Amino acid sequence: MTPGPLLLFAFLTLATGVVVGVRLSRTWLGLTLAGTVSGLSAALMVLLGAPDWEWRSAFSLGGEFVHLRLDGVSALFLVLLCMGGGAGAIYARDYWSEHRYPDSAPRGRAWWSAMLLSMGLVLTVSNGLHFLIAWELFALCGYFLITLDRQRREVRSAGWVYLVASHAGTVFLFAFFSTLAARTGGWDLGPMREQTGLAPLFWLALVGFGVKAGFFPLHIWLPSAHANAPSHVSAIMSGVAIKMGIYGIVRFSGWLPVPSAAGWVVIGLGATSALLGIAFAFAQNDFKRLLAYSSVENIGVILIGVGAALLAVTHGDALWGRLAFAGALLHVWNHGAFKSLLFFGAGSVLHATGTREMSKLGGLWRTMLWTAGFFVLGSLAVSALPPLNGFVSEWLVYLGLFDAATSKGPAAWAAMPAAIMLAMAGALAMASFAKAGAMIFLGAPRTQVATHAHECGMWMRGPMLALAVVCVTIGLAPILFWPVVARVVGSWRPAWITMEAPAPLLTLGAVHVGLAILVLMAAAWLWRKAHANSLRRGLTWDCGYAMPAARMQYTSASFGGIVAGWFGWVLQPERKMRRPRGPFPAEAIRLERIPETVLDRIIGPVSVAIMQVSTSVRRLQHGRLQFYILYVVAGLIALGVLVLLGGAP
Amino acid sequence: MNLILDLVLRLAVWMLLAPLLPGIINKVKARVAGRRGPPVLQLYYDLAKLWRKGVVLSTLASPGFVAGPAVAWVALTGAAMLMPLGPAGSILSFRGDVLLLIYLLALARFCTAWAAMETGSAFEGMGAAREVSYAVLAEAAIIAAVLSLSVQTGSVSLVTMLSPSAGAGAVLLAAGLFTVLLAENCRVPFDDPNTHLELTMIHEVMVLDHSGPPLAAILHGASVKLLLFALLLVQAVLPTGKSSPLVAAGALVAGVLVVTVSVGLVESFLARLAFRRVPLLLTTAFLFCLFALLVAWKGGAE
Amino acid sequence: MSGEALNLLIGLAMGLNLLALGTSRLPSLIRAMSAQGMLLGLMPLLLEAENLDWRILLVVLATLVGKGLVIPGLLRRAMRAANIEREIQPFLGYVPSLLLGACGTIAAVALARALPLLPEHARSLLVPGAIASVLTGFILMIGRVKAISQVCGYLILENGIYLFGLLLIHSTPWLVESGILLDVTVGVFIIGIIVDRIQRDFDSLDTRKLTTLRE
Repeated sequence: MTPGPLLLFAFLTLATGVVVGVRLSRTWLGLTLAGTVSGLSAALMVLLGAPDWEWRSAFSLGGEFVHLRLDGVSALFLVLLCMGGGAGAIYARDYWSEHRYPDSAPRGRAWWSAMLLSMGLVLTVSNGLHFLIAWELFALCGYFLITLDRQRREVRSAGWVYLVASHAGTVFLFAFFSTLAARTGGWDLGPMREQTGLAPLFWLALVGFGVKAGFFPLHIWLPSAHANAPSHVSAIMSGVAIKMGIYGIVRFSGWLPVPSAAGWVVIGLGATSALLGIAFAFAQNDFKRLLAYSSVENIGVILIGVGAALLAVTHGDALWGRLAFAGALLHVWNHGAFKSLLFFGAGSVLHATGTREMSKLGGLWRTMLWTAGFFVLGSLAVSALPPLNGFVSEWLVYLGLFDAATSKGPAAWAAMPAAIMLAMAGALAMASFAKAGAMIFLGAPRTQVATHAHECGMWMRGPMLALAVVCVTIGLAPILFWPVVARVVGSWRPAWITMEAPAPLLTLGAVHVGLAILVLMAAAWLWRKAHANSLRRGLTWDCGYAMPAARMQYTSASFGGIVAGWFGWVLQPERKMRRPRGPFPAEAIRLERIPETVLDRIIGPVSVAIMQVSTSVRRLQHGRLQFYILYVVAGLIALGVLVLLGGAP
Repeated sequence: MNLILDLVLRLAVWMLLAPLLPGIINKVKARVAGRRGPPVLQLYYDLAKLWRKGVVLSTLASPGFVAGPAVAWVALTGAAMLMPLGPAGSILSFRGDVLLLIYLLALARFCTAWAAMETGSAFEGMGAAREVSYAVLAEAAIIAAVLSLSVQTGSVSLVTMLSPSAGAGAVLLAAGLFTVLLAENCRVPFDDPNTHLELTMIHEVMVLDHSGPPLAAILHGASVKLLLFALLLVQAVLPTGKSSPLVAAGALVAGVLVVTVSVGLVESFLARLAFRRVPLLLTTAFLFCLFALLVAWKGGAE
Repeated sequence: MSGEALNLLIGLAMGLNLLALGTSRLPSLIRAMSAQGMLLGLMPLLLEAENLDWRILLVVLATLVGKGLVIPGLLRRAMRAANIEREIQPFLGYVPSLLLGACGTIAAVALARALPLLPEHARSLLVPGAIASVLTGFILMIGRVKAISQVCGYLILENGIYLFGLLLIHSTPWLVESGILLDVTVGVFIIGIIVDRIQRDFDSLDTRKLTTLRE
C-alpha cells in the first residue's frame, strides 16, 4: 500500500469533518481520529523506508497543476501534526464542550478540522502558488481558533496581533515565492540546489517563516495569542503550528542554495531566542504566557541545530552538522509532545479554577493529582532533564556543537557561544518550570479559587497520558527513533545519508532505563523507610510566627525576582507602587507587569510615530478643488525642471 | 562478574569516602578558629543517627517531599559513577557523558527545589529562588570549563578529557572551577552552612523542614557532590595521565585533600558575600573558565 | 624563553585590568593600578635582557618607584582627604563593565592578529595587552562617578600607551620611558590638586555635581 490512498482518505475524512463538525460532535471526533490515524500511517510508511510519494493532478487549480509530495522532511512534521491534532480533538471534547460553550464549540470543531487540513496541505504541496494558498488558509484557521472565546477583549486583541503579524510574514513569503517563480520560470517546487543565484532568497524565507516560527524578535504575537487561546488551541499552536515555520525554513534551505552567512545568522537567532525567550518566561505570572515564551526558547534550540547544519554545509559537510540537525529534528517531535502535554495540564488547571494567574493558585496537588503528575513530567521533559526526551534531543545538539568546537574550524566561533547560551537557557528553563509547577500545585491554596478545584475527566486525562507515554518512550529508547531521524536528514541533504548513529544512543537509552528504574525504586524505598521509622505530620516551620497565612508563601513574582532584575534591560517592567503611609497603613500596592517588550516598547511607539506622520500628511487631503489643481500644476513644474536638468528617460 | 565487583567497589569508595570531606572542612575551620572542633567522622555518626529517626512531614507536603531527596540522591550517585577516578576510569564511559553528568546535577537541583517548595514556606521559597537563579551563572561557568577541557583534548568523553596533561590555562581553569565548587556546594562566600538566620541561607533553608532518612539522603548526596567537584577540579588541573597508577592515585588523594583544606581555609578567612554581589563573583568564575577556553584554543591553534 | 615570561607578565596585567573593573573598593582599584604599573615597569628588563644598560636599569627603577609608590601614595592621600572608600553607584554596573572588559580583551586579541606587526611582535601579547588596557581605562573613565576612579582609569590608559611604547624600545629606548613617566607624574600632581580643590569647594568628589560653575 502506498501513502497515496491513506492521504486521500485523511483528506476526505477531515473535509467531511469540517462540514459535519458543526452539528454532530461524536461523528466529528470519529472522523478526525480516523483522518489523523491514516495521515500518521502514511507518514510513518515514508519514514520507515518507503520511497517518497509524489502525485501530479490532471486538473489545474488556479492555473497550476496540483503537485503533492510526501518525503522524509514532510513526513516528520506530518507525524507531529497528526499526533497533536488527534490528541487535541479528544481533549476538546470535555475542555471546550458543547455544554459550557454552546455557540463556539461547533465552530471550534469545524475550524479544527480545517486547520488540520490546511496544515497537511502546507506540508505536502509542492507548488509555490498552492503553498501560499494553503499557508493563508492555515493562518486564517489559526485566527478563528484563537478567537473562539471572542467575547473577551484580550482574546480579540490577541487575535488581531496574531493576524497582523501573520500577514506581515506572508508578505515576505509572497515576495519569496514570486521571485522564485520568476527566476526559475514556473511555480513548481523541487530540489534546485544547483541554481546558485537563488541564494539571497533565503533571507526572505527566513523572515517570512520566522514570523510563524516565532523566534526573537519576530515572536511578538506568540505570547498573547497562545495565552489567550483555548488551551487545546494553544497546544496545537505551540506544538505544531509554529513548527510549520520551522518546516518552511528546513524545507527551503534543503531545496535551495543557501548564502554562506546563513548558518551564522540562524545560530545567532537561535541562541538569542533561547536565552531571551526563557528569561521572559521566568518573569511571567500567567502560566500560559510562561509556556508560550518557553516555546520561543525551544524554537531557539531547534534553530541552533538547523543553523549548525547550515554552517556544516558551507564547511565541507562536516559530521557535526548532521548530529546537531538530528537533534533539532528530534526536538521538533519532543517539543510537540511535551509542550502539548504542558498546555493540556494548564488547560486542566484553568478549567478547574478559572484563573491563569499563578499567584492565586497553590496546593492543587491534593485535588488534581493526575494533572499535577503530568505537569511535573512535562516540566522535567522541557527542562531537558534525564531520563526524558528533552534531554536526548538537547544532548544531540550539544554533541554537535562540541564537535564543531573541537574541530577548531571557523565554525567553532559560532558553536562555543551557542553552547554557553544553551546551557544558560537550560538552567533558566528548569527554574521557570520549577516555579510554575510549585506555584500551581504545591503548598497551600493562596486564594479561594484554588480551594474549589476538581480533577478533570477521562477525556482530558487520556490525551495527557498518551503524550506522557510518548515523552517517556523517546527518552528511554532513543535508538528506536534514530532510523527515522536519519532518513529525514538524508532526505534534507542526500549527501548526508547515514545509517549508523554518530552518537552512542543505545548506551544513553540503557543509562536512562537504569536511571528511571533506580529513581522509582529509591523513591519507593525511602517512603517505606520513612513510614517504618515513624511518620508524623506537623506544621511547616514558620519561625515562631503567631499567625502564618497562605498568602505568606513565595509568589511567582518573588521567585523570578532575581533573574528579572538581571534581565531588566530587556524585560522593561512597568511598576506601579503606592507605599504604606502613616503609623497604621491601611493598604499598600506594588504592581509589576512585564510587557511584551519588542511589541510594546519598540513596534508600538514606531507605529504610533508612523500614524502621527500619516495623520499630518492627511492634511493635504482636505477636499478643496483649487488646491488639487495647484498640486497638479506643481507636479508638472517639477517634472519640467527635472527634464531641464537633463534627467534622462 | 568483574563488572559487578568493579561497580560495588566504586560505589563503596564514593559512598563511604564522601562524608569524610565535610568533616575535614569543619576540622580545618575549627583549628583556624583555635577550637578543637567536631571529630572528622562526625558526618558518619550524624547519618547513622538520622537514618534511625522518624520523619516529620509538613501538613502541606505531598509524597514528593520524600521522593525529592531520593531522586536527587540517585542522580548525584549516578553522576558520581560517571566521574572517572584517575587511572581507574569510570564504570561507564561514552561520548557525551560529561553532558549527562551536568544534567544529572541539574536533576538533583530540580528535585531539591521541588521538595523545598512542597512545604509552602516563604523561607524555602526564597532559598529555592536564589538557588535556581544563581545556578544559571554557575552552569555557564561549568559549560565553559567543560568546553575548554574538550577543546584542549579534542574529545567529549570524561575519561579522555581528564587524563592528559594540563594545559597552559590550568591556573585559570583551577580558579574558575574552585569558585564553581564553592558556589555549587553552598560554601562561603556564596552561602554559609553555619548560619542560623533563614533569610541569609540558600541551601540550608531549602532543607530546613527535612528530617530523618530523607535528610540523611540529602546530607550524603551533598557530600558526594563535593567529592565529585573536588575530583573534577583535581583531574582537570593535575597532569596525572602519564604517570603510573599508584602515583596517579596518590596524586588524586593528595589533590582532593588540598582542595578540601582550601575550602576550609576559604570558609575561615572569607565572609559571606552580600547576595547582590554574588552574580559578580559568579561572572568572574565564568570569565576565568572562558579565558581558560581561549588559552586552550590558542594553544591548539599554534 | 623571555617571550614566555613576557607573555605571562602581560597576561597578569590583563587580569589586573579585569580586577580593576570588578572592584568597588577604591583601595583595591589603586592597588591594582599600581601593581599593573610595576609589572609593566619590569618589562624593559625582559625585552633588553641581552644588552642591559645602566640607563635602562635607571628607567626601570624610576618606573617602579613612581608607579608603585609615589602615584598610589598621592592617590591614597586624596582618598583619605576626601574620606571615601567605595564607589557605590557607578554609571555602568560592575557586572556589565566586567563583561565589557572581557569582550574588549577578546576583541583586542582578535584585532592584534589582523594588524601588520613585525614578526617578533606578532606572537607576543604586547599589542593585545596595550589595546585591552586602553579600553579598560576608557570604561573606567566613562562608567565611574568618583573622581579618583576616573584618575585610576586614566592611569591604566597610560599603562596601555606605555605598553605600545615598548614596541619601540629597540629604537628609542629611554626617551620613550622618561617622556611618558614625566607626563604621568605631572598629570597626577595636577589631578591631585584639582581633587583637593573640588573636595574643599563642593564638599564631595561626585563629578555629577560639577555641572554648575560657581565662583
